[in-house]
Amino acid sequence: MSRFGLLLRNELKLFRTAVPIHAVAILQPTVLYLLMSAILVHPTFEMNVAQPTTDAGHELLEAMEHVGSPIGLPYIEPVLVTFDRGPVARQVVVVEDQDDHPVAVQYFGLVDSNLVKNYRNRLTAAGLRLWNEELGRQAVLVEEHAWLPQDMPYTVYFGMALLPMAVFVAASFLGAVLIAQEFEFRTILEYRLAPLSPAWILGARMARLLLLALVAGALVSIALGLRSDAWPDLPWLVALILLPVGLIAGCLGTLAGLLLRRTIPAFLVGLVASFVGWIMGSGFGLAAGFGEWYDRLSRLTPFTHAVELLFPRYFGAVIGRPALSVAYLLLVSAAMLAATVAVYRWRVTRQAP
Amino acid sequence: MKRLWILLLMELKAWRSDPITALGGFIPPLFILVAFGLLFGGRLTFKVAVLNQDAGQYGAVLRQALDEVLSPFGTPYYDVVDLAPERAWEAYRAHRIDGIWLLPEDFSERLAAGEGPTVDMYFSNYNDDRAKNHRIYTAEILWHFYEEIGLPGPPLDLAESYPRSEMIEWFPVIAVGVALLSFMLGSMINVFMLTRKEQVSRIVLEFGLAPRSLAWVLLPKVLLALVMGLATGTGLLAIVYLWVGAWPGAYLWAVWLLAGLVILFWVPPTLLLGMRAQYFAGAIATILTGLTVFFVGGGLGLVRHNWESVPWFSRLFPNTYAVDPLRDLVLFRTWPADWWSTLLILSAFAGLSMAVGLGVTARRLRRLA
Repeated sequence: MSRFGLLLRNELKLFRTAVPIHAVAILQPTVLYLLMSAILVHPTFEMNVAQPTTDAGHELLEAMEHVGSPIGLPYIEPVLVTFDRGPVARQVVVVEDQDDHPVAVQYFGLVDSNLVKNYRNRLTAAGLRLWNEELGRQAVLVEEHAWLPQDMPYTVYFGMALLPMAVFVAASFLGAVLIAQEFEFRTILEYRLAPLSPAWILGARMARLLLLALVAGALVSIALGLRSDAWPDLPWLVALILLPVGLIAGCLGTLAGLLLRRTIPAFLVGLVASFVGWIMGSGFGLAAGFGEWYDRLSRLTPFTHAVELLFPRYFGAVIGRPALSVAYLLLVSAAMLAATVAVYRWRVTRQAP
Repeated sequence: MKRLWILLLMELKAWRSDPITALGGFIPPLFILVAFGLLFGGRLTFKVAVLNQDAGQYGAVLRQALDEVLSPFGTPYYDVVDLAPERAWEAYRAHRIDGIWLLPEDFSERLAAGEGPTVDMYFSNYNDDRAKNHRIYTAEILWHFYEEIGLPGPPLDLAESYPRSEMIEWFPVIAVGVALLSFMLGSMINVFMLTRKEQVSRIVLEFGLAPRSLAWVLLPKVLLALVMGLATGTGLLAIVYLWVGAWPGAYLWAVWLLAGLVILFWVPPTLLLGMRAQYFAGAIATILTGLTVFFVGGGLGLVRHNWESVPWFSRLFPNTYAVDPLRDLVLFRTWPADWWSTLLILSAFAGLSMAVGLGVTARRLRRLA
């Protein structure tokens, strides 16, 4: 065991030989999260409203202030502006009299269809409140049955789904690059000549990759907590869920490095696997919602399984089939580990470098 | 001039021996284009099941309204799937559909009698933006439904006025942002990799010892990077054309001019990076810089009329200013209203970057020598 400790210490010291690569692999997902969380969709929209001069205008303004979620945020933040009928910067709502009937006209600036949709829907929701008030008991009452007791910000889901990606990126990048560099610098010869069992050497390398992958995951988790005030109920369980993801990624990276023996192609394998896996594997929303085929494909990646296991820790609700996801992650981890050991033996101990 | 030509040919030969540099500016943007195309290029509709248990006629009208009300994307807000109740609940619980509308048996009866008809709406709210859409789409449906069944009109009518006759679609807006990223990355990867190569093979030492002005050395590098960036970006624009049908046509030269100025801003700092950073880490840093700038510099949405949403740090690089005029040229084939001011801003960015970046690079080359 002391030998393993020495090996692990040596592995960790190798950090100093490639500080920038480690920094990129470990910090990149956190930076991505912080940047994306600054621009991700938010339900509350500022809406420009021309200073009301009529009763209808005042009523609309009041209705706008009440459009929102009963268990979340308001959807409209009216901003009173003076409208001079000149060019419109974004949008402005003006209540006008047309044929002796008040009309709320929304003047749009150059905005895309998604923004038009958002502004239109919000104004309709405010207008409908007024209509419903006038209809009284004739109005249709929509009784909401939301799944969770509170609306959850999208930044929480996005950050949670980024956790497996952070772990995967760190383990696969570092696993791929470091082993490929051993071939490029011909230091792989030292491993071949080492009087130790390959299991010890690979074990130390995997332990190091897992450790760094968990650091990357922890950084995203902290950023998520600080940014969105979303902390997992059981942090140790989150680490445990991410562990097989890191192991699969570490094995994939190491395999790519062993087979390709060149830094850039091995790195590209890690890069493509990480990003394709993230996008396919519930990175932006639950895979099941994207259609049957998408869901099936996404279940081939460890990401969807990890996301489904992480979900209860952040949202307090179970999704998918946790037992199946655990079984998938364990089986794939074992298979990847076995493949890595086999390729390592073949490439390092039996083949000349 | 002959000297410049010789050095330019030398740089070109160096590139020919490592043509993979061209892919560095092409593959990441293509990857992003495909990802966003998959995410936002499709129909942004909610898949819901309507369990219409209404014994009267109004339930069917409401069900019909879900098909009839169109979003600004030109598609219905809801994609109603026909499922038996058990299958619908099963699909909802498995998150295969976004929600369920349950119209009770007495819906029509209560509506006709004015006794507060209700609709039960089951939906997922793990993402508050989607939950918001469920709520505000409902308003569109009910508005149409009230009109269809002839209820007394609203106290306030709604109308809209647009600056253009056609709607600006969201994915093409993103696609132009990705094209600008490709212009930028194409040049950055080229100049980084070639400089890095020269650094490793100690050619920069020879540059530093050159008896002539270092402008002769740096100019061909900048020119090649500019050409590579323009070629890469134009290649991606061609893909955008094949995908969404947007192409600048006769305005291509204006696109090249704006993109060229953006490229000239990014080339000098990347040149410096190539002289200092490790090969691999530098390449990654270059790509990540490009991606970050894309995300925060108006790559995902229109900037010109949304300055209040633009973070302060996005104003520190030219992409934020260039992206909307590029959209004018590519998506609408119209001359940007702010053409001259944009040109001035981009020239200032490019000039400053060239002066500072190339000056520092020249000093560094001399010190190396």
